[in-house]
Amino acid sequence: MASSFGGINTALTSLYAQRRALDVTGQNIANANTEGYTRQRAEMQSQVGSLSPAMYARTDGLGTGVAVSDVQRLRDEFMENRGRAEHGKSAYLAQQTSAYGSIEDVFAEPGDTALAAQLHDMWGGWNDVSNNPQLAATRSTLLQQASTVADGLNSAHSSLASQWSQSSTQLAAYTNEVNTTADSIAQLNDSIVKAKATGLTVNELEDRRDLQVMKLSELAGATASARANGAVDVFVGNSTLVSEFTTRKLEVSGAKRLDDQNSDPMTLRWADTKTAVQAGGTMGAMADTMTTIIPAISDALDSVAKNLADKVNTLHGGGYSKDGSTGLDFFTSSSGGDITAGTIRLNITDPDQVAVSGTDGTYDNSIADQMADLGESIDGPDREYQGMIGQLGVAAQASGRRNDIQATVTEQVDASREGQSGVNLDEEMTNLLTYQRGYEAASRVLTTIDSMLDQLINRTGLVGR
Amino acid sequence: MAIGGRVTEGSIHTRVLANLQRNIAKGEKIQEQLSSGKTINRPSDSPTGTVSSLQLRGEVRASQQYARNADDGLGWLGTLDNTLSTVSSRTIAARDLVVRGLNQGANDPTTNAAIASELDQIREQLVGYGNTKYMDRPVFGGSTASEVAYDPDGTFVGDTGTTSRTVGAGAKVRVDATGPEAFGEGDTQLFKVLKDVADSIRAGDTTATAANLEKLDAAHNLVKTTLSDVGARYNRLEGMKQSAQDRLLTVTSQLSDIEDVDLPKTIMEMQLQQTSYQAALAASAKVIQPSLIDFLR
Repeated sequence: MASSFGGINTALTSLYAQRRALDVTGQNIANANTEGYTRQRAEMQSQVGSLSPAMYARTDGLGTGVAVSDVQRLRDEFMENRGRAEHGKSAYLAQQTSAYGSIEDVFAEPGDTALAAQLHDMWGGWNDVSNNPQLAATRSTLLQQASTVADGLNSAHSSLASQWSQSSTQLAAYTNEVNTTADSIAQLNDSIVKAKATGLTVNELEDRRDLQVMKLSELAGATASARANGAVDVFVGNSTLVSEFTTRKLEVSGAKRLDDQNSDPMTLRWADTKTAVQAGGTMGAMADTMTTIIPAISDALDSVAKNLADKVNTLHGGGYSKDGSTGLDFFTSSSGGDITAGTIRLNITDPDQVAVSGTDGTYDNSIADQMADLGESIDGPDREYQGMIGQLGVAAQASGRRNDIQATVTEQVDASREGQSGVNLDEEMTNLLTYQRGYEAASRVLTTIDSMLDQLINRTGLVGR
Repeated sequence: MAIGGRVTEGSIHTRVLANLQRNIAKGEKIQEQLSSGKTINRPSDSPTGTVSSLQLRGEVRASQQYARNADDGLGWLGTLDNTLSTVSSRTIAARDLVVRGLNQGANDPTTNAAIASELDQIREQLVGYGNTKYMDRPVFGGSTASEVAYDPDGTFVGDTGTTSRTVGAGAKVRVDATGPEAFGEGDTQLFKVLKDVADSIRAGDTTATAANLEKLDAAHNLVKTTLSDVGARYNRLEGMKQSAQDRLLTVTSQLSDIEDVDLPKTIMEMQLQQTSYQAALAASAKVIQPSLIDFLR
């Protein structure tokens, strides 16, 4: 038989448990809008009496109340991993799309003032020179138009170079951020493992750690896996970044500006092994932009500049100018080396040195005429430039579309994650009511037992008094 | 307790915000098109459209240039045409004088001297026409850089370089006629013939005068042939100019088809987008507001 006072204890356990559950509900409501907070639930478990059979240890099989066995974090680890992967991809594509956007801004095509139009103006200038080679004004105008083309190529190159440098600075900053975040995850791992070992609940710390891991996923495409002791390992591209309580560092090495990229490529690598990091996320996109996208566009632009200079110089060198000079280059390199988009500039400054004629001392216009025809040439710089812009457009469009699709997928996953682990106020209000009523009912049980005992103690055994 | 498809304030918030964001981004794109008047504002808006647009812009400029080149060429050929017509009529006047001198014979040296000096005048005039300039260049001088095509005694000092204008893709039309082509060379050169005939009339040598008259006719024929050639080229150039201008119209309208905004369609799209955006806002405001808290005492 249970003891007379056993019921009081049962009611007491219920009071404790309902109050604990109310506290948990309060915590949920308090954090309804906290980023990264996972809703919690008090797990109640009915208590049973001793069930070990023994001669004098008999129980009536009734339970002895309730206890909060655990405060659970309602988070789906698989959904979280999916979320990390999608966030990593989304950050990669968003960064790539914005890089393409900046490159498109550099060229500002199609437009009436951009490089294609500047080239057209220059060919028109050659045509005017061909029409009136005797007028110095046509040649001066041509020199201005040609120098606009050279300036246009220079400034396109320097815009690409400055975009590269900005990415470089930003990548270094992100590398630091990844390193410090990895450290703080290792510290949180330490706290969590120690707290768990002593049986404490560390839900809030785990939320904070998940938030940090998500940050790494967006920055570097990191993935994570949990250990049995509560620690989390973080990986970047198949290599370990955080292993329980220890971390590895990332670093950026190599070129610091676009012009050095070909000779000494920029790499994002592990500080300890010096091997390249296969990063995703924002940093992965930046690294790809710096090692592939910008250099490819820059090379294509260099090739346009070289094609322009070669074609014009070949013709120009074979012609005669008003002052009788011949064999002069029209375009040259400011560095003295190869002609690139960054170095191309006008070699001729005197309008009288523009070679127009195929025969010395005449107003023959054959050279100027052939120059003007270069604009229409199949393998001329204009066509090459158009092809380059077309390819840039295709790549940018593809990246933008993939980004749009990925953004939708990420939103869906985020909404599901939020649905799984977010706080629903209606639910919490319902819980609040349930636990409040539970508490009231437990008090009523206490009152009932009290009045029962009162009956027994104060009103029983009064016969014969 | 697992609830399928659990929805929280947070998940509604995420979804609503994402949808509104998409909606407003679409609006921004339409606004950009409307305010710029272009459907292609950057290569990624339409890569193929961009390449076509760049090519068509090139063609617009080329057509404008061809028309401009043709105008310049028409100036040259017009000058040639006028000059050669005048030269022709002056040559006819000279021929009349020569015929008069021939009929006169050697009877009247005074009249012969008068005819000869008038012929000299005509010759000087014609040499002057031979030095006609357009845009400060002697039109009969070939590609010469000197000021004149003929020196005062009628000797050709220019060269035989030709000048042409590009008036279409790969189409070049010659816009000059060199002195030898228009006025002949050697013994049948117009100025030389006129000098010879004046001399023979002055000397009263009818045999030589008759021979020179034939040479004068030959020289005149050459002028007329060149004149008709110039006229033909003038016509061809006019035709090319017209076709360059027609091409300009066609290409400009093609460019507009590719680049420019279809206003009614785009404004319609903007209206639709605005309506759906407002509807989305109104619906979100209604959906988010009510909660169980509103109904509990």
